[in-house]
Amino acid sequence: MRLSLAAAISHGRLYRRLGPSPRARLDLLRNLVTALVRHERLEAPWARADEMRGYAERLIDYAKRGDTDERAMRMANFWLTEKDLIHKLFKVLAPRFQPHPGSYTRLLQIPNRDGTDRAKMAVIELKGNPYPPLVRPRRDSDKTLLNQLLKGYREDSRRQAAPRLPEGTPL
Amino acid sequence: MAARWAARCLRAGREARRFVSTPSASRLTSEEIIQMRNELFTKEKERQLSLYPRIEKIEVKYTGKSHPGSLLIMNKALSTPYNCAMHLSEWHCKKSVLALVDGEVWDMYRPLTKSCEIQFLTFKDEDPEEVNKAYWRSCAMIMACVLKQAFKDEYSVNLVKAPEVPVISGAFCYDVILDNRLNDWQPTKDNFNSLTKDASKLIYKDLPFETLQVEAKVAREMFQHNKYKMEMIEQKASQNMEGIITLHRFGDFVDVSEGPHIPRTSFCFQYEITAAHNLQTNQSELIRRFQGVSLPVHLRAHHTVWHKLLERSKWLVTEEKIVEAAAESHEEKGGMEEEKTLSI
Repeated sequence: MRLSLAAAISHGRLYRRLGPSPRARLDLLRNLVTALVRHERLEAPWARADEMRGYAERLIDYAKRGDTDERAMRMANFWLTEKDLIHKLFKVLAPRFQPHPGSYTRLLQIPNRDGTDRAKMAVIELKGNPYPPLVRPRRDSDKTLLNQLLKGYREDSRRQAAPRLPEGTPL
Repeated sequence: MAARWAARCLRAGREARRFVSTPSASRLTSEEIIQMRNELFTKEKERQLSLYPRIEKIEVKYTGKSHPGSLLIMNKALSTPYNCAMHLSEWHCKKSVLALVDGEVWDMYRPLTKSCEIQFLTFKDEDPEEVNKAYWRSCAMIMACVLKQAFKDEYSVNLVKAPEVPVISGAFCYDVILDNRLNDWQPTKDNFNSLTKDASKLIYKDLPFETLQVEAKVAREMFQHNKYKMEMIEQKASQNMEGIITLHRFGDFVDVSEGPHIPRTSFCFQYEITAAHNLQTNQSELIRRFQGVSLPVHLRAHHTVWHKLLERSKWLVTEEKIVEAAAESHEEKGGMEEEKTLSI
């Protein structure tokens, strides 16, 4: 009987195994969520940040219900170990994310850790944080070849669509 | 080698006596003309190389943003800006299209002659106007080469010139005068497809664009059979103080052009020859303007966008329309500025 191979396969398992036990895994993630709510940008191993992301977003969904909701308050009480952050969660983060229906965090991979383990690291941040942006989207200049061709195409179609005014009419 | 050249001269002379030809045009087969031009080009290149028998070093300072303050020691009249890019990084080699040497725009494969400052221009700079112009010129030259080789030997193809059309007009053009017997022939879609396939073959061969600065008389000897090119050479020689003409060659095709070209033909990705129009001039011969559109490897377009650009490039591009369009855009800009000032 090949027990070893069957034990290694984990098809369809959603939760990663972090730490010595499931309770330790939850404590680990709880610390990370608390740190995220406190500092709004966090550098951590990619697996832990990815695991924590779902919990953080669901916590914000609970916070959107409002602090009068009993369930939301108990959740926040469990997940945030530093109790001053409960106020920040309900009064600052919930209104900030009120218009969005989801995706309150951003996860970006960074170069591997410098230590001997060379772990895959990531930076996780809440959107709308006050720090300078991590990635600046670079748009092509207006004068590149493709943009010039497209500009000419747009102007041609505009000239075709709009009725031609005879020259000399005051604009 | 000189004896073989002379023998070919005599053989062609014997064939030419059957035709009524002008005394200077002793060779009428286009293949022989191409070979003659090629040989003259190679001879001139070797002669210019032999002017520097010993290697002399020059200092080239790189003034770009990526490697600030780097000093490169290169060989005089042997090293090209492409060699300088090879010293910097692979990214520089692949992305740079032209070099800015002491403020002047140079081809990547043109040898450097003295100590200078160098910078590289790519397709995605803040102001890639020179690069766009060079790309359009190169595409027009590829189209000229394709047209020259497309027709059978009995039909003569005279290349007139490549008008300097801005990129925003939507197509690059080349003016050609075809044989009289083809005056009523209108190219069909299949003809354009086959021309495009020829151009794709040239692009796939990845031929480098070689530059050569020659004196006017060498250029006149090369292009003695083509009166339009001779006019252009005279014009260029009168503009330049020393009477030096820049020639470009890729593969077997030599041509005079207004300015620098891209380094290799493989820089074009999507290339299509789309239309041919008859130009209305007061001359007796029918001048045809062949048009096409192309995009480089670095700025590829999705096929939906590409087809829209193809459709637009089929319309005739003339200098008057370009001037009109420029005037209109200036008017609009002026109107917008007036509105802004009024609102303040």
